[in-house]
Amino acid sequence: MNPVLSRATLAVPVALLLIIGCVLPLALLLVFSFFTVDMDAFVMVPDFSGGNWLQMATKPIFGLLIGKAVLYGSVTAVLTACLGYPVALAIASLSRNAKSLAGVVLLTPLYTGEIVRIYAWRVLLGSEGLVNALLKGIGLIDEPLKFLLFTPFTTYLVLVYNTLPFMVLPIWISAELVDRRLIEAARDLGARPIEAFFKVTLPLTTPGLAVGLFAVFALAAGDMLTPSMLGGTSGSTPMALIDNLFGTAFDWPLASALALSLLMVLFGCASAMAWLLLRLKGARAVLQRGLQ
Amino acid sequence: MRAGMTRRELLAVMAAAGAAGTVARTSSAWAAVSELVWATWDSNGHPEYVVDFEKQTGTKIKLSYLSSEDAQFAALKTGSAADWDMINPSLNGSWRYIKAGLLKELDLSKIPNASLMYDVFKTTKKAQNEAGKTFAIPYLWGLNPIIYRTDKFDKEPDYNTLFDAKYSGQLAMRDYALESIAIAGLVAGVPRDKVFTMDAKELGEAKKLLVAQKPHLRTYWQTIGDLTNLFATGEVTCAFSWRVPYDELKGKLPVGMAKPKAGVMGWCDCFAMPANLPAEKAEIAYKFVNYLLGPEYSTQVARVGHYATTSSVIRNKLTKEEQATIFIDDMDVMKNFMWPVAPDNYSDWLKIWNEVKAS
Repeated sequence: MNPVLSRATLAVPVALLLIIGCVLPLALLLVFSFFTVDMDAFVMVPDFSGGNWLQMATKPIFGLLIGKAVLYGSVTAVLTACLGYPVALAIASLSRNAKSLAGVVLLTPLYTGEIVRIYAWRVLLGSEGLVNALLKGIGLIDEPLKFLLFTPFTTYLVLVYNTLPFMVLPIWISAELVDRRLIEAARDLGARPIEAFFKVTLPLTTPGLAVGLFAVFALAAGDMLTPSMLGGTSGSTPMALIDNLFGTAFDWPLASALALSLLMVLFGCASAMAWLLLRLKGARAVLQRGLQ
Repeated sequence: MRAGMTRRELLAVMAAAGAAGTVARTSSAWAAVSELVWATWDSNGHPEYVVDFEKQTGTKIKLSYLSSEDAQFAALKTGSAADWDMINPSLNGSWRYIKAGLLKELDLSKIPNASLMYDVFKTTKKAQNEAGKTFAIPYLWGLNPIIYRTDKFDKEPDYNTLFDAKYSGQLAMRDYALESIAIAGLVAGVPRDKVFTMDAKELGEAKKLLVAQKPHLRTYWQTIGDLTNLFATGEVTCAFSWRVPYDELKGKLPVGMAKPKAGVMGWCDCFAMPANLPAEKAEIAYKFVNYLLGPEYSTQVARVGHYATTSSVIRNKLTKEEQATIFIDDMDVMKNFMWPVAPDNYSDWLKIWNEVKAS
């Protein structure tokens, strides 16, 4: 048997699980979105008028909330890429022991629960928090800096902090796989360090960067807790509305239409990102080589 | 007492076995009467609250704590709560359980302590269907007041205070469409008995107020632990709240509790049985709801949990201070009650609320 094919068969059970766990609920959401709620009998009844989808298309609030999720995802992904890339390269150039230590330190924040981290940020950034107390103590400010907490600044700061390991790890692994002789060859042929980086290192680490971008985009766009508990009055998300619609409002059909709309938009964004990345030579070269 | 119960249980088992004619049915019926599962909030169902009932009847109460009312409704609606024998719908939300046919009709003659309930609960139509049949018994209630820092406010705040630019940056509202829009409705002048059925124009007025309020808020609070933290860390000095932050922070911070004259949001939990509860279990469940309205549970929950039952059974035995703690020192408070009920067009309320938050 073709060895690549036989390796692929190993993934079949997991792939099946993913299909069942993903496709079935989505199919259910699609069916629900063509229902309506009969509030007198308190049951859902089929309604093929497409009213829920019409609402998605015509009520600006849904587009606005989905747009916000995309914004959270993309801004966080770009910020973590800018911050995480140099960190990943730095880790890749450390000694073996230092790398192990760096890996542990990098993942330490993830060992605590999200809610613990949220309250820790409040202690740090609050009006009577550590940062404000420090700035006051050294005489830089008289009044606490209120923008530190419960603003979009806080949301992005914490989203970047929470998702940074998911950016650094894949880039670090990609960087480890780069054949150092290629960089040396580029330098021997007269490339300056910056040229060697842009022509060799960056293209060959694109797959890691891509994985990081996808992961961070999905995590940040789908986060409900951070915006709602640290973003103050600006922390609305489509997830919170979906939660409310499925819950107290018992409007499962509208919630289903919104959930699917959000998913389609996020999927579209991720596909566009993938398409753009695959146009880069480095990514194509690495991905085509695969596991021979 | 224990031997008496055993005989009754045995009779129930024999009757069930005779009817079904199977051994399996026998063991199921035995298990049913020796234990009842009560789905409720952890604050309503501390194990020590039900010990007396277990001693009196020999039936063990197994506590199954709820995560949210919506989850409770969904579990019943989808049939994934087959082991629940007694459930805990809110008075405000009972209508949807009744409409969905999820509750068993109750025979009030089997609940003698129901006659001790305060009138406002005894006469409520919210636990009945359109034909006037009763499906739920209100048993525990409380108020959602405004909590404030007494050192930061000259006078007791009311709902208008929550919209006052003078206190900008110190205020908080709950991230919950139903109560927040209703409060804005009250401030806009909608009478309290109409506030949960506001028409489009009134909803528009409420929305305008909420949009104008937004810059003055420090944040919207998500959970009551969240709000307590906001008070404790000095981020917020006045908020529409539950009473928890008051109990938690009293003695540590100068906090007060205000009950606005415009209308006090009340909450009330009900006892109910799932529609398909077998008769032998229902008999014990009737004894249990009678216990919830009786002296043992009422005393425990008042002194430990600081909540009042809907029964007047122990009111006169409590000190004035204990009465004040659970809001039954001045019974006039019941005249200002508002019961938040999600209207049929609640999806529209949610849209408005999200428009406010996204504005």
